[in-house]
Amino acid sequence: MSYSHSPLLPSFSRPASKVAVRRASSYEDDLEGLLWETLLEFNPQVRDKTVLIKPNFVEPDAQGIINTHPAVIRAARDVFLRLGAKTVVIGEGPGHERDTEGIIEGLRLRDYIGRLEGVFVDLNTDEVSTVPTRTHASKLKKLSLPRSVLSADFVVSMPKMKTHHWVGATLSLKNMFGIVPGNCYGWPKNVLHWAGISSSILDINSTVRPDFAIVDGIIGMEGNGPIQGVQKKSGVLVMGDDPVAVDATCARIMGLCPERIDYLKRAALLLGNLDEDKVEQCGESIAGVKNPFDILPAFQGLRA
Amino acid sequence: MSLDCKPAMVERKEADDQPSFREQFCVPFLLRAQNSDGGWGYRPESESSVEPTAWATLALRQKAAQYPQVIERANQWLLQTQRTEGAWPASAGDPGCWVTGLACLALLDRANSPGAEILKGLQWLSDSWPAEGNVWWRLRQRWHKSPDTVVHQDHALRGWGWTPGTASWVEPTAYILILLRNIPERFYPSGTSKRRQLGEKMLSNRVCPGGGWNAGNPMVYGVPGEPRIGPTVWALLALSDNLNRPESTASLDWLERNYQHISGPGSVALAHLCLAVYGRPVPPLEPRLSSLYMENNFLSNVVVAAWACLALGTVPAWLGSAPAMEIEA
Repeated sequence: MSYSHSPLLPSFSRPASKVAVRRASSYEDDLEGLLWETLLEFNPQVRDKTVLIKPNFVEPDAQGIINTHPAVIRAARDVFLRLGAKTVVIGEGPGHERDTEGIIEGLRLRDYIGRLEGVFVDLNTDEVSTVPTRTHASKLKKLSLPRSVLSADFVVSMPKMKTHHWVGATLSLKNMFGIVPGNCYGWPKNVLHWAGISSSILDINSTVRPDFAIVDGIIGMEGNGPIQGVQKKSGVLVMGDDPVAVDATCARIMGLCPERIDYLKRAALLLGNLDEDKVEQCGESIAGVKNPFDILPAFQGLRA
Repeated sequence: MSLDCKPAMVERKEADDQPSFREQFCVPFLLRAQNSDGGWGYRPESESSVEPTAWATLALRQKAAQYPQVIERANQWLLQTQRTEGAWPASAGDPGCWVTGLACLALLDRANSPGAEILKGLQWLSDSWPAEGNVWWRLRQRWHKSPDTVVHQDHALRGWGWTPGTASWVEPTAYILILLRNIPERFYPSGTSKRRQLGEKMLSNRVCPGGGWNAGNPMVYGVPGEPRIGPTVWALLALSDNLNRPESTASLDWLERNYQHISGPGSVALAHLCLAVYGRPVPPLEPRLSSLYMENNFLSNVVVAAWACLALGTVPAWLGSAPAMEIEA
């Protein structure tokens, strides 16, 4: 179970993490085959478990650069089912748009997944339970969180690789903002902004630490992300069971220095590995796929 | 101009031989989804919450005579859920928040004076200021990088936030302005009239370049925000007492242009309702909604079903422009 069962280990006692970088030139590639091959290397324990896939759906997106592509979601869902998961649910609480069904219909998620009733959960309006945060980086102290998330055995964060105009980059940790229900916190989830975005990212991820991360970097977004930027083709999927290490690897691919991204630097204390020496890279090398993203002038200091 | 005279803008099928989509699917769905405690959850068999209860009540109240017990049980649930300070929580045990305006609207009987519970809610709303623009906030701007340089909007124009202690946003402000428009000013707590004016100015200030509203940041880093259906509809409905505002005209044009491209049933219903309220021509709603219903059953979302009911019925009196008792009289 994701909630409260993942240990928060200080960096000195944490073993090295493994991150896989795979090339995928388009959403028409054999993504299921690629994910199957990769997940076998990680051997996630999902047999007879409930898996919750948390994509990044923000708002309607005609260009296909804001939201996690449904082809990647389908591939992940199919692979977790092949690995023996009892149920794979897709759950998201879009941050800007109340019409969740409008977003997923606009994405054509149904064309990839089939009928969505009972498969997709709108986390903005799910039943909630209030839980204490496991860290106190922000003033939040407790969070009302969807029961679909709290009751999941295995949570998979599946963001889009994007720049972000408040925190530099949005990847698997920032993606977890979407589990916080709009019903309680609004659209956007402004409470988290006022509590400090970086600090809120830490508290959310310490409380519900993703068990696995799959970052859709086939087509991402650079510039004024996460919604007003422009398309960036990186042609990669980045995966691993340590979301901090996955995000750090993505940042390096994006030409950013992860140690300079505030929330990543702080996440390295308790949530995962940031140091390149503690990340075992498999698949492609970072140098082989590095493709620097344009960033806003305010974030030039994040450049590697 | 009273909007109560406009119901002919909205199509109706009640008079036809075939039961309408509203009567065949939406209303029965809402009736079945009511919990034994009188409230509604966001989905059938989920715990009652204030927002779906308020919308379901407003939807079914259009035919209150047919469902008096349903409405009465809903009202009782809402009354029991009110917090001692007058606000309503999103979910049981949470602090008071944006749903307070919706709860008051659902409980409001326009033929009578607002009850004590509504006045208490109104007092809480009137006292509940968003955090931007206060002294501490202004001091922080002097010491830190100011969001003013990023978002370019007038933070002195404060409306209402989703939750206390945060910033003003379009939708919660619009809901509360619609509530206030339905209550004669003589019942307003002290300072409420000024807050209403500020809220209206805030909405006007937050319109996106070219019309329409998004959540509430029309310009970020110099880039115009993309309008969204929901905020645009609610802002327009909140400002519908003056049909000649330039921002309203531009926003209605935007809504009309984008109507055919809407992919979610909730947004389709809201857009249809809004265009009908403003007297803009709209294509028939029922075929489109029933087609979307076939795809996902509205994801069993009570709020979407309630909005569909509202859009398929007559324009509700609470979306009219004049205060309640003056209309009913």
